[in-house]
Amino acid sequence: MAEHPELLPYGIIREDLFRPLSRAGSKWWFTVTVCFLLVLAGLAAWGVQLRDGLGVTGLNRPVFWGLYIVDFVFWIGISHAGTLISAILRLTDAAWRKPVTRAAEAITLFALMIGGLFPIIHLGRAWFFYWLIPYPNARLMWPNFRSPLVWDLVAILTYVTGSAIYLYLPLIPDMAQLGAHNKPWRRKLYTTLSLGWTGSDREWHALEMAMKLNAVIILAIAISVHTVVAWDFSMSIAPTWHSTMFGPYFVVGAIFSGIGALIIVMATLRRTLHLENYLIKRHFDNMSKLMLTMSLLWFYFTMSEHITIWYGNEPKEMGVFGQRTRGDYAFWFWTMVVVNFVIPVTLLGIKKLRSITTAVIASFGVLIGMWLERYLIVVPTLVTPRLASATSVYSPSWVELMITVATFAAMILLYLLFARLFPIIAVWEYKPHSPEEED
Amino acid sequence: MFLIAEYRSKDALVEALLALKGAGLTAEDLAVFSEEPIEFRKGILDRHSNMSKAAVAGAVTLGTLATWFVYYAQHNYELITGGMPIFSFWATGIITYETTMLGAVLATFFWFLWESGLIRRRDPEAPIPVIGPASMSLRVKCDSARADSFVETLRRTGAIKTERRGK
Amino acid sequence: MPTGKETHTDQAKPHRWGMVVDLDRCTGCEACVVACHAENNIAVSNPEEAARGRVNHWLRVDRYYEGQFPDVKVKYRPVLCQHCDEAPCEPVCPVNATYHNPEGLNVQVYNRCVGTFYCANNCPYTVRSFNWFDPQWPEPMQLQHNPDVSLRPGGVMEKCTFCIQRIKRVEESADAGSRPVADGEVQPACVQSCPAEAMVFGDLNDPDSKVSRLAGDGRATKLMEELGTKPKVVYLDRAR
Repeated sequence: MAEHPELLPYGIIREDLFRPLSRAGSKWWFTVTVCFLLVLAGLAAWGVQLRDGLGVTGLNRPVFWGLYIVDFVFWIGISHAGTLISAILRLTDAAWRKPVTRAAEAITLFALMIGGLFPIIHLGRAWFFYWLIPYPNARLMWPNFRSPLVWDLVAILTYVTGSAIYLYLPLIPDMAQLGAHNKPWRRKLYTTLSLGWTGSDREWHALEMAMKLNAVIILAIAISVHTVVAWDFSMSIAPTWHSTMFGPYFVVGAIFSGIGALIIVMATLRRTLHLENYLIKRHFDNMSKLMLTMSLLWFYFTMSEHITIWYGNEPKEMGVFGQRTRGDYAFWFWTMVVVNFVIPVTLLGIKKLRSITTAVIASFGVLIGMWLERYLIVVPTLVTPRLASATSVYSPSWVELMITVATFAAMILLYLLFARLFPIIAVWEYKPHSPEEED
Repeated sequence: MFLIAEYRSKDALVEALLALKGAGLTAEDLAVFSEEPIEFRKGILDRHSNMSKAAVAGAVTLGTLATWFVYYAQHNYELITGGMPIFSFWATGIITYETTMLGAVLATFFWFLWESGLIRRRDPEAPIPVIGPASMSLRVKCDSARADSFVETLRRTGAIKTERRGK
Repeated sequence: MPTGKETHTDQAKPHRWGMVVDLDRCTGCEACVVACHAENNIAVSNPEEAARGRVNHWLRVDRYYEGQFPDVKVKYRPVLCQHCDEAPCEPVCPVNATYHNPEGLNVQVYNRCVGTFYCANNCPYTVRSFNWFDPQWPEPMQLQHNPDVSLRPGGVMEKCTFCIQRIKRVEESADAGSRPVADGEVQPACVQSCPAEAMVFGDLNDPDSKVSRLAGDGRATKLMEELGTKPKVVYLDRAR
């Protein structure tokens, strides 16, 4: 490389981005161990639930959906980080996206894998989850395609397939480059996965086409998936769930929380993998602006959702509204408004306050706030059923909490493993000079 | 027989491609290898792609099949639920939509594997040049009779190295 | 949109079972609740579970209080599955565990149920109950199970069936004798045990049956009829 000094920048880039793959520090091992143990604990908790029955949760009549459904919606929401953001940035050809896209696409895939587990975990007889899949069976019958839960299944399977392919395609050239060095097992892994990529213009051309097409399709899928998740609620006739606005409201919330997750991941990668030259302040600045936009949009939707309920003054809906704004859930409701709206708008809207640190603080707030939002959609409606005699309370049990914690650990674990196996920034996409500078 | 030439600049490569095409070679005979994608203007090294058509075809096929299957399954075991019709596009439209999208995704992916040549049997004779960062290799397929003149063209346009392979 | 032709196939069938509950007669004695438990092998909850909202009744008696203490009036309303003609619980089930049978009953097939809870969340009457654990009975109640009713494992949803086992038994004996089912011949456990005779069960397709005549009474109302669920349980309540 030394004899071609003009190539040095690219060589350094490659080196910088491939380096994390071959060195794992003690901190990495420590975090992986802790997360792995937490995942094991979560699996054990699920084992207890499978053995004893759903009675080990805090669920009761009429609160049949609880933390599991909250987590489900939350994780499916997080999954919108990636694909949606990366697809929008790819389609608009925003050059600054390049170091961000893969980090985002990986979030999507892992969040979907985790989120997709919750509908199975929450089943009364989880071992029969495959009865939702249409296949010729001994029961001589087909699933009920009119059920939103079957829509969910189809939508999530489509989304997982799409985002796995969307993550995989731009990885191929990087893996082809990695196939030349590294340990034997890695060499085998990378050469197998890179499918004999040679770097010919035909391959590049096909890859470019496939990425463009997939970006369009994945956008359409991502929006529909969270709409279908919202429709699980909207299609029912429970007070405040039966809302025409839930589809877009959920999509906005999903992108909002997805950006929060992405900012946290970006800041962590920058810190731990020493990517200060790649994930620069400009990236965080742009992401902060996106988050600010989503925060305002989220507030607009929350506002219109609640003001219509309040003005309409329908008794059953007002019961839920009262629970949220001044009843048992008021503290959490107003906390949500603060962390989802007041804090992000203050920290990111005032230019002087906007920095990487404040963006991370706001992002943590948004993640908490969006989790609370889902809780406040699921639970208050269920504790105030239409017949007052059936009113109940809900507080999650240790099993539900353990499984929830374990999924966060699983996310971190999957991400840590991914960042050690694959370059977290698409090396081939990260050209030494951005196109604007070239022109 | 194959010729391999290494270039360091895109302009030189473009010049070489135009010269070779002027000498009667087609895009089929030429291949450029690089570690990062190189974008050429239209008319220099055009690659035809049917991927968007494949995506639409895949979408329509899977969407139609799935919708037909739902229709069939609902009538195969007729159960009335909630006063809904046995089959209604309103109640199963989501499934049509999602499987349409799935068809497009899968078709795109398989078409990518096919069109890029990754899952096709390649010409075992054709050499694959070793490429380094920011170097670009041009592979030319030609008659051995005309090889000398092509090597001359390649050198003239700024190839750093040229090489002959095969017969 | 659902059309009449496809939805009410039960019109063509001989029976369309329905119930009338006379709230002016109900004394709130809860004999119906006990009878329902005994007839349908409903698991018995324990005090700790009950305190957590896990009581398991297919039929409950709601109490409504009027006035201020000490001048209080209590009204009772037995609430069971309303066997809606357009039941919100049915279309949402992904595995067809709950569906509309040809006699208009909203039935629950335990063996198909995987426990998604969606049906229960979508039931405006909150009459579905779930088996949180495998069913248990305090000694020696496990010795008096009704052999006509299956035991439900943990993890499945269940609800009032209008005592479908009794309906079937009467229908079969009527078929065997080549005679029509007589009015009042089918008596679900709650109806049979009601000392005030507040509950009447019968065929809504037969205009002369007692249940049809009472359903046309001036006092007849249906619970949350405005939701469009078309319940087949009719409450008789004096307008005040």
